[in-house]
This record gives sequence, structure tokens and C-alpha cells, in this order.
Amino acid sequence: MPQSLAREALGLGLRTRHYRELGEPWPALDYFEIISENFLSDAEGPRYHLDRVRERYPIVLHGVGLNLLGPEPPSSRYLDRVAALAELVDAPFVSDHLCWTGAHGVSHHDLLPVPHVPELVELAAERARHVQQHLGRPFGLENLSSYVAFKASTMSEWDFYAAVVERAACSFMLDINNIYVSSQNHRFSPSDYLARIDFSRVLQVHIAGHTREPSGILIDTHDQPVADPVWQLYRQAFREHPFPTLLEWDDQIPPLAATVSQLERAKAVRA
Amino acid sequence: MTWPSSPEWLLELQARFGALLRTPLDRSTGSLRADTSAYEAALVEAAEASATVTSADRLAVYHRQYWFRLFTVLQGLYPLTARLAGYWRFNEFAAAHLRQRPPRGFDLDAVGEQFELSLAELPPASVALASGSAVGVAAQPLLEAARVDAAFHRVTRAPHAEPFHPSMADAARLLASGLRLSPAVALVQENWPLCELRAALADRHQHDTIRLPEPWPAPRCWLLGRRGSKVGLLALEPREAQLLDLLQRLPLEQALGHLEAAVPPAERAALPEKAQAWLARSVRLGVWAGFAEAREGAADSR
Repeated sequence: MPQSLAREALGLGLRTRHYRELGEPWPALDYFEIISENFLSDAEGPRYHLDRVRERYPIVLHGVGLNLLGPEPPSSRYLDRVAALAELVDAPFVSDHLCWTGAHGVSHHDLLPVPHVPELVELAAERARHVQQHLGRPFGLENLSSYVAFKASTMSEWDFYAAVVERAACSFMLDINNIYVSSQNHRFSPSDYLARIDFSRVLQVHIAGHTREPSGILIDTHDQPVADPVWQLYRQAFREHPFPTLLEWDDQIPPLAATVSQLERAKAVRA
Repeated sequence: MTWPSSPEWLLELQARFGALLRTPLDRSTGSLRADTSAYEAALVEAAEASATVTSADRLAVYHRQYWFRLFTVLQGLYPLTARLAGYWRFNEFAAAHLRQRPPRGFDLDAVGEQFELSLAELPPASVALASGSAVGVAAQPLLEAARVDAAFHRVTRAPHAEPFHPSMADAARLLASGLRLSPAVALVQENWPLCELRAALADRHQHDTIRLPEPWPAPRCWLLGRRGSKVGLLALEPREAQLLDLLQRLPLEQALGHLEAAVPPAERAALPEKAQAWLARSVRLGVWAGFAEAREGAADSR
């Protein structure tokens, strides 16, 4: 039985940039999240750092390569490796995205949207159910930041997302920054989105920074502090039902201590 | 376990979207831009526009992200090549590589595989004379830089391998069998002082173009090896490097014979003692992972 995280736990996405600072001192965090794909090969270097971290912290897995809605179903070979990694670190849960990342043999290494239609609810839910079964531990689906919406959509993003999670009997890996970014890009109310989420099924919440392009589009860049409107949504969500909170910072990464101090703000916001 | 299949309309949408992403960015204006006028009308029509942003401009966000993400990864995997070529030129090489060998699979670092081959496949004039060059670095040193970067990456990413320490019982087999290089080790020969330059590029966040150093008077050889998470360099005598190279293909006895035939007569008398010292050092350093794979009819390998 995998270990579990406290609902109030605060964690950080482990990135290569952090390796050299780990242990000097070890940061005051409840857990780390790793990008699964960074540790799926048998390369010794990443495993060396992973071993150091897992001796001291719980680790959860977050994937970017599942390609849940790709033309081909997720490969068993890939899922076997994720399952083995989850077993190795005794991950409380594994998550990935409600999206497609590649098609027709080419990986685009991006989280790409689909039209929100009932037909794809069935497809995504059935595949997510298989994934959770294959992994043998809780599986969370993350909502996207998106820059394109499709005219073919007949459902709101939140209805689509919630329906997939409910039908798959899996969990939400809810990204609050993504809700805010998409709400600005597609002109919807982020509160409507939160209202549709069953917070008892939220495994974890992601928070991160974003950037506004000159065109006005918000981009999920993860390269700066969490924006105030995102903190407000975070407070609103946390009051519904507490959840583990994970900060993602992927570019222009500040020193570890400064990154961790962002999580202090999470404590203050939800107090 | 039976997985459900995607509907036909989704496959078509994904084929169109993927083709758009993989369309090279336009370089004609001196910056990399997404030429939205070339987007397929059916895909543009399928996407929502807003009062302020067209659907094509929304698709362009993904289009740019695809290329810039992969350029950034390749710049990180080939930092020496990128900084010798300059980023503008390097991105042109990267685009050619990605068109020739688009990314497959979940491993983002795998996009760098065979980049040095893609570079070698470009017409030499396009490598040497690409637009925007401030340095004028020619094809040959850039190809060598790419091979050095690839060797560093290969060693960094190698799995753990127990070093091979032959016992007395292995002596007879050593005479009859080649050796397998540890995956955490690489032999590199260079004509320009590039390995040390590559090792010094620890800070990947610097982007200034660096000048190609003067070439060595004669080629130099290096052993790249990993200890923990670091890659170290060890200078090898040319004959020592030649022996290590031969040992990967030939049994010890034959390798020594080839080496002896290659050295001038004046060096031959000292060769056996030197070869023994080089071999002992290679074992001490963990250069080998075992005996080479058996050829047909030969004994099985370790």
C-alpha cells in the first residue's frame, strides 16, 4: 500500500537546477514531485540524485508523456516503466495530463488540447481507468493551460474534465494556475470551474507562475512567482477541502531557498 | 486489456495540428516567427477566435512552443556546438535535424540523438556559410564539436556498469577476445582543443558565442569518464588511445600486433612495457565493462 501525503502538505517540483543545492541544507518541504520521464531511463546520473532525495522525502510522480488522447493508446512498455518507478519511490500517487502529446509516430513534447465533447469523455475515461489499473496506485489527471479552443466543443472544459475523472474513477490533479490562464484566454469564470470540482477527489493542487504575451494571451511559463489572482483562487479552493500543494518552477529558477519561500506564502494565504 | 480507439475525426485533427507544429518557423525577417498565412484553412477554421486574438495567432503559440522547446533542449545537449556556431546558426542546424529526425517517444533528451549525423549530412557549405555568422566557424570543427558534445551526453546518460577487473582465470580469454568499453566512458580524438572547452561550459545559461581556438599541431586523445554525476577528462597518449580503440575490436594479442606494426621501429622496444602500463591503467580506471560480444563460433561473452 503506497504511503500517503497529509492534506496540508507542501511540496516542490524537483528540477535539475536544484540538484547542486540539495543538502545545503535540505529544504523544509513535506515532499517532492518528479517528472516521471526524467527518471525512466537507466541513466545513473538522475538516479543518483533521486536516491538522495527519496531517502529524505516522499516523492510523487508527474508525467508529461502519457499521451492519453493520442491516436494510439498509452504503451504498456511506458506504463510498465512508470509503474516500476512509482514502486521504487513508493509514490503515493501518479499523475499526468488530460491531453495528447504526439500523433502518428511523432512526439510534439507539448500538452495539446482536444474539443470537449462527450465522445472524448468516454475515450479518455476508459483509457485513464486502464492506466490507473496498470499503475496499481491512485492516478490523477491534470487540467491544461490552453491557448486554443475548438468550435466543435459542446461542453465546458470543467464539465469535460470532471466527467472524465468521475467516469474513470480516478482523481483530479488540479492546476489552479492552469485554470486561471485558460479562464483569461477563453473568457470564462474560474469560479465556475472550481465549483464543478469535487475536492474530495483532488490528489494534489499545482500552483505556478505565468506570463502575458503582447497579444494578451497568458502563457503557462512556470518562470516567475505565483500571480495574485491565482493565490485568490487557491484560497477559495483550499477552503472547499484541503489538499497537498505543489509549486512548479521550470524556467528562470531562483535559488532553492527563494523557491521554497513561495510555499510559505501558500501557508499564509490559506490561514 | 482492450484499449478504446480514437475517432476518425480526432485522428484527422491531430494530423493537421501536428503538421502545423512541425512546419519550420520563418527566418526570412531575421527572427524566428510563425508564418500564420501558411496555416491550413480547415484547422484555422476549427479553432475559436476572440475579439482580440485570431484563431491562427492562437495556433501560433503552440507552433512557436514546439520549435523553441526543442531548440532549447538541443542547445543544452550540444552547448559547445551552439556557442561556437552562435544560436541563430545553431537553430538552423537544429531545425534541419528535427525535420530529418523528428522526435519520437517520451524522452525529451532523445531529440539530441544523431544530431551530429544530421549536421554531417548537411551540405558543408550550409554548415560553414550559414547566414548570421559572426565567427565564420567552418564545417569541420563544428562537426567535431558536435561529436564532443554527443560523447559528453552519452557518458552523462549512461547506465551504471560494474567495472571489469579481469582475474588470472581471464588471462587466456583476454588473449583471444576483445573488450567492451564501459557505457560511462568515451574515447575522443580532437583536432581543436574542444574537450576541455566543453568541460568548462558548466554554466549552460550563458549564451554568448565563443571563438574557435587554434587547432592542435597534432590530434589529441581524451578519455571521458563519469564518476557519480560528474564527467571527467583524462589526456591519453595517442598510442594509448589507439590501443584502447583496437581492444574494442580485436583480442589483446592481435591488438598489440596492430599497434606494433603502426609504430616506428625506434618505439617498438619500449612498446610492450608501455602497453602493459596502459592496459593496467585502463582496468584501474574502470574503462572496461567486460569481454566484447562473442562473434559467431567464438566463446560466449561475459
